[in-house]
Amino acid sequence: MSPRQLLASLATVGLMALFGYGVWAVLGTLQSKANHVVDPVQAQALLALPGTLYVAQDGSLYSLQGLHFSKLNTPPGDWVQVAPAPGGDLLAVSKGNGYSDVYLLGPTGQVIRTLLQESSPSYFANHFAYYPRVSANGQTLFYAWNWIDPYANYNVDFEVLSVPFANPGARATVWSLSNLYYQGGDVEPLPLANGGLIYAKYFNSTSGNGAEYSELAYVTSPGAEPQYLTTPAQNCSEPSLNPQGTEMAMICTNNQLQTSTLEVASWNGSTLGPLTELSPGPMAAMPTWSPNGQSLVFMNVPQRSLPFQLYWIPKAASSKPGAAQQVTQSLALTATSAPVWYP
Amino acid sequence: MAAGTRPRRRRAGLSTHHSSFAWGRHPALLAFLVLVGFAVSGVSGAVAYFLPAVTTALHVTGQKTTGNGGKATHPGAQGTGTPPPPGQPFTVLLLGSDNDTKFSPNHVLTQTMILVRVDPATHHAVMLSIPRDLWVPLSTGGSAKIDAAYSYGGAAAAIQTVENNFNVTVNYWAWIGLGGLVGLVDQLGGVDLISQMPILDVQYPYDLTGGNPYANQRIAILPGPQRLNGVNALTYVRSRHGDILEDIARGQKQQELLVDIKDSAKQMNLADIPRIASALGGEVRTSLSLSQISSVAALARDFSNGDVTQIVMLGNDYTGGTIGGQSVLIPTWPAINSLIAQNFPAG
Repeated sequence: MSPRQLLASLATVGLMALFGYGVWAVLGTLQSKANHVVDPVQAQALLALPGTLYVAQDGSLYSLQGLHFSKLNTPPGDWVQVAPAPGGDLLAVSKGNGYSDVYLLGPTGQVIRTLLQESSPSYFANHFAYYPRVSANGQTLFYAWNWIDPYANYNVDFEVLSVPFANPGARATVWSLSNLYYQGGDVEPLPLANGGLIYAKYFNSTSGNGAEYSELAYVTSPGAEPQYLTTPAQNCSEPSLNPQGTEMAMICTNNQLQTSTLEVASWNGSTLGPLTELSPGPMAAMPTWSPNGQSLVFMNVPQRSLPFQLYWIPKAASSKPGAAQQVTQSLALTATSAPVWYP
Repeated sequence: MAAGTRPRRRRAGLSTHHSSFAWGRHPALLAFLVLVGFAVSGVSGAVAYFLPAVTTALHVTGQKTTGNGGKATHPGAQGTGTPPPPGQPFTVLLLGSDNDTKFSPNHVLTQTMILVRVDPATHHAVMLSIPRDLWVPLSTGGSAKIDAAYSYGGAAAAIQTVENNFNVTVNYWAWIGLGGLVGLVDQLGGVDLISQMPILDVQYPYDLTGGNPYANQRIAILPGPQRLNGVNALTYVRSRHGDILEDIARGQKQQELLVDIKDSAKQMNLADIPRIASALGGEVRTSLSLSQISSVAALARDFSNGDVTQIVMLGNDYTGGTIGGQSVLIPTWPAINSLIAQNFPAG
């Protein structure tokens, strides 16, 4: 065999080996892309919404302006549930191991001050604080907090509390009474301009079938007997009121198994009108109204089993709302965190 | 050696008569051999890619139903997991265990027992969660909570005990441990579900990530639609403290998760198998063979969620009691037999 032939043979064998490696590598690239998720800063929104939106993904908070996301400069941590605060600042929850704290952040994510510090060296003195909301006058901080029954450690339901926003270390006011023995809980406080409060009250039916459901509850003062705005069959939660205070969006299951829809109803300050479906889901979550109250955004999945994306519904408060439009793709937004929408 | 000259030495091995085959005169043969070489190389690449999956699959699938199955007490009870005729309805017993270091690996309880009947002809499936605290005669002798059957006699005893008590024939079984469930969900990219309740538990086992199987941790799964990773999905189906239905509620959530896993698995393809198989490790075992699994997976792809009936036993099906200091559920057999006859017909 001449050197040329030897060289050709070696080159051929090399190519064969390369081909084998190529097959191995190509098979790797054929893995499912359906669940492919990117960091929001590497993504671009599908449509530009006016103003600035804030969302959470994988323990970080992001702002969306136009088509582009920016990551907020929060300290390291597991950040969720960003919410509006006076003066364009933000509330946010930082999750720890067995507790969660609430912070006041600047618009770029820097910590202004700790509002609720719920970690403790004593195991049973740790608490979870979630769903922070500031009252319309900016004076009061509402949140859901898990109490611990000293006589039954299993009884750790959420209840809705409030503290002065300027002095969150003050003694908390108890707005809702938890379900005492069985799990359930009161979450998602929505402070009203009239001083009242709407929240989602979760029940565990004691009728024997153990049905689990939630109702929107309305109270005019702390600890008052709640007036229920929705029925157990509607199974509604995650209320959001438009800035005008006239339309309420919410998430309901209407007795469907593992399917949630986006609904809207008129609100006159004490009662809800009939519910109208804005989106059939299949997993609609956390509606938030636009600053002008005309449209809203919410979380949903493009199809069951895919990660949550942001969706927008134009003219949501009108008699002829537009169809839901997908705003993001390839993200995995935290669906238990309502977006914030600033002008 | 002068520059430009070429060595003309012949190497002994290349100068023999037999090796002086003139390839240039046989281009077709040469091309054929080159093609064969590329084909072998390509197949080798594919084998290298799928080898971990095949190795794992061969290790975990097609498991014999071994163990002390004990006595069958009715004609349909085989205790062997015998496959049905092709195209006929079949029943799978899904078993899940807290297999942390509190337990000897070969003697774990099956806190999760879900009987699944699949009818390929009607595209309908029924899932029935069997409460772990149900007090029943075990096929291996004596009476105990039904979750103990597996610890006394492995899959054979679990199957035989279910067959004896529920008058059904179990064709296949599958067992999964804590880590297997976490790995499976993570490899699927997570599952979407709607938590119907805030799940708060201050005495949730800290056994999976905490290093101490007897330690507790405080957990919170918020209510509403959300996407859960493996650890949170396990928390969702495992926490029971404070729920009025306790273990029964856990069964409901486990069934929801199974449906979610089915949905997520629809997004997967053949190239995902090695990654998923390596994540499952030794945390999954089943009597289903590889070919049977692929048939079931193909069948599941065509199932919509409306085709799946989810059943848990409720208050009419048992009464609470205490036996030997243990809190148990004493079966109300007429109600359970009616439930089984309705949803798990023979044949």
